[in-house]
Amino acid sequence: MSFFSMRWWVAVAWIEELIREGQKSVDEVEVFYVEGTSVSADLKQKKVNLATTSIDCGLGIRTVHKGRIGSSSTNDLDNWKNCLNAAIASGKLATPQTWNGLPEPVSLPASPLSFDPALECDPDTARDLLEKMLAGASEHPADVTAGSASLSVSSVTLANSHGIRYGDRHTGVSLSLEAIERQSTGYEFDYASYLGDVDPNKVGERAAFFAWKSADGKDIPTGDYPVVLSPLAYAELLGSVFVPALNGRSVHSGRSRLAQSLGERIADPRITMYDDPLLPRASGSVWWDAEGTPTRRIDFVRDGILQTFAYDLKTAYRYDKKTTGSAVRGGFGGLPSIGHHNFIVDGKREEILDERVLYVHSVVGAHTANPMSGDFSVEISNAFWMEDGGFEEPVRSAMMSGNVFDMHKEIAGLSKESRGIGSLILPSIRINKQHIIGK
Amino acid sequence: MSGVKYYDLRHVTGQVTHIDIDNSVVESAGTSFFNKAVLRVLDRAGWGVIQIDNFTPCSGRKFDDLLLSAQKLAGITEEIVKLGDVPHGMLPVPPMKEDPRAVSIEEKSLLLAGIEEAARHPAVVNRRANYIERIEQVRFTDSSDNEFSYEMCRSGFNVLAVASRNGNVQMGYEREHTIHGFDLRHRQESGKKAAEIAVALLDAGAVKGGRMHAVLDPELAGVFAHEAVGHASEGDLIHEGNSVLKGKTGEKIGDEILTIVDDPSLSEFGFDPVDAEGTKVLRTEIIRKGVVNAFLHNRESLAALGNGIAGHARAMPGEPPLVRMSNTFIENGDSTEAEIFAECKNGIFLKGSRGGQVDPGRGIFQFNAEYGYLVENGECTKMIRDVSLSGEILSTLHRIALCGNDRKMSPGYCGKGGQSVPVSDGAPHVLLLDAVVGGSGLD
Repeated sequence: MSFFSMRWWVAVAWIEELIREGQKSVDEVEVFYVEGTSVSADLKQKKVNLATTSIDCGLGIRTVHKGRIGSSSTNDLDNWKNCLNAAIASGKLATPQTWNGLPEPVSLPASPLSFDPALECDPDTARDLLEKMLAGASEHPADVTAGSASLSVSSVTLANSHGIRYGDRHTGVSLSLEAIERQSTGYEFDYASYLGDVDPNKVGERAAFFAWKSADGKDIPTGDYPVVLSPLAYAELLGSVFVPALNGRSVHSGRSRLAQSLGERIADPRITMYDDPLLPRASGSVWWDAEGTPTRRIDFVRDGILQTFAYDLKTAYRYDKKTTGSAVRGGFGGLPSIGHHNFIVDGKREEILDERVLYVHSVVGAHTANPMSGDFSVEISNAFWMEDGGFEEPVRSAMMSGNVFDMHKEIAGLSKESRGIGSLILPSIRINKQHIIGK
Repeated sequence: MSGVKYYDLRHVTGQVTHIDIDNSVVESAGTSFFNKAVLRVLDRAGWGVIQIDNFTPCSGRKFDDLLLSAQKLAGITEEIVKLGDVPHGMLPVPPMKEDPRAVSIEEKSLLLAGIEEAARHPAVVNRRANYIERIEQVRFTDSSDNEFSYEMCRSGFNVLAVASRNGNVQMGYEREHTIHGFDLRHRQESGKKAAEIAVALLDAGAVKGGRMHAVLDPELAGVFAHEAVGHASEGDLIHEGNSVLKGKTGEKIGDEILTIVDDPSLSEFGFDPVDAEGTKVLRTEIIRKGVVNAFLHNRESLAALGNGIAGHARAMPGEPPLVRMSNTFIENGDSTEAEIFAECKNGIFLKGSRGGQVDPGRGIFQFNAEYGYLVENGECTKMIRDVSLSGEILSTLHRIALCGNDRKMSPGYCGKGGQSVPVSDGAPHVLLLDAVVGGSGLD
């Protein structure tokens, strides 16, 4: 059973009224409305300690008047008039810029790309997922410390004064488990739009495996080593430094190290990077971006050569570029900014674990990497010497230092398998000479 | 009234005003609004929680229906949650010197533009300044007739300068955030400093990683206290068995000079007049003279573990409270800055931070310094670019050899369980012997 039912399609009467009201004062009005519900169950060690339901909603309004962009948001829907007035007032403060209009409506497929009609926000389903994770964890001698399973359903409405009336629906299932064996911890997680696409048993098994297998690690002397970064470890560094440097606004305002590198080699020739917003079942898939531009594949890096940056309407109009349909919104009622949908690193795949290599499953402190220069030094977690793909000796503790931009030129192999980490879909990567600082 | 054992309701409404100025362009400025509530119920076993956006306070039948829904939800829980007995009560919110609401957004925007303009420099390719002002009205009630309501305003600014030369890109970043009212006046110095650091870093060297003595400035030493000790002393983590400090009460893990405190009652950026469960906030000495003394608790972890003080439950609006730090600091020692540098003799002096991270179960932490200087014969010499330090909770504290007498707090935000809360960290200058430094330098 479900405790709270969803209204799939919002009553649009107040949205129409809002747009009419706004047009009395400004050239253009845009309304972004999200509502959703979720249920989650959390473990404290092996017992369910907490069950949560949330009922969320958020309204974001943008107004444009003579090149001045105003915005406001609220989740107090009864007071949408205050929010509209705040957006109009906000526009009066903004510096005017070149603006050639919000998008016009086009005909797009109505079927959502990341919506599982079978997924319901049912607490019993969340509890079953936890039980499956616990069953997986019991395969190795480690103690579960915490875990969580959550299910969510949301609907999104975008409307503007040019006649766009788009609706979309999303579902999500999210799992995580933490385990410990003496002073060795393991963590694993999974996320998917479709309930059937997560593997709770494997999440539990891997979390317990890493905790157990990493115990009694040995130190490693300082030096340069062949290293394989798992998709998780790679995602931490890529997401904190490299992806933000492809943001058109950062590029044109001088906050990107890649600003002058269009057409240049910025990664090993085997590397291709692209955003594919139309990948069926992927969590970031959408037909239209957060301001109503139809989405399409964006090839950022082809064969190691930088091809383009990401743009939304505002940045594209200002710098005489075309939007790449890269507008996204954070959370409920968030305002649009440049981001990505499903960011994919691809290229020639091969066996990268056949020789002895230091495998780094995750890192601690990637968010402290310098987002401008790309310099990082992080602590490595669940690191092992691997031989023929097998986890051999665990490494107790060490730091890994380098530069995220330079590292991409040194990539010497991509694994056959990829994995989704949030909105990034990545292989493991091999680096032949990576600096490691032992203890 | 439904027959639940316990409930509490925390309803937060408010508004956020922001201004974003990027290379002299007002990118966006304005006000947004929020209204969020969280209802928690304990009945047979564990928590049933309902998070509600756009909440309308209600009573009678309607509120009973909400309690019933939460109670049903709690039906899937198994762990029997007990709540510790705690003192209730609320401190007065410190008065503001100037209420930001009395200043027009046009004036705020002009003042912020002045700070951004102060970061102008021939080598600086980007200047960006942000103002943020968050006003929250908090109302708390529980089934034991405790009721608290208060209003808090947090405001402040960040200024970023990016310097670039021949593909070398460096940044300087300054921030000031406060609970004491409007703070944008006479702050151009921050913009100037951000630019000076960014430009100076173009010529800074990279440190070669390894073990060396390190002098930490008050901001960085505060981050050290937060990452190395604060998180591992959070009662919920200890309860889960996910902290190396579990079972260590009374054990000596540092030198006599080391006392580390979390104090939500202090008038700093992490101040709470009352915690998110209605508990009175109290100073908690986590480490006293090098000995593990007390853990940070909410009512649940206090009942489960003891050994510590409740009043550390904190939450973002509409989220269930977790055990969190507030104002975390290393207490002053008796050394002067000169003595600390003399004792260090050869090593590095590290300043500022973009934060850190800890794995409390493994007992390993990492934190980052924005920049620093080589220390040679007790004197600061060559500037060095950002470096990180890592350490092990149970051994590194013994290596804090000297604590200065010049404690200073720095505001920031701390993330845990998907929630970000305002905190401050601080310390005097400290000397950390044989620190593990990560750097990409080759010589």
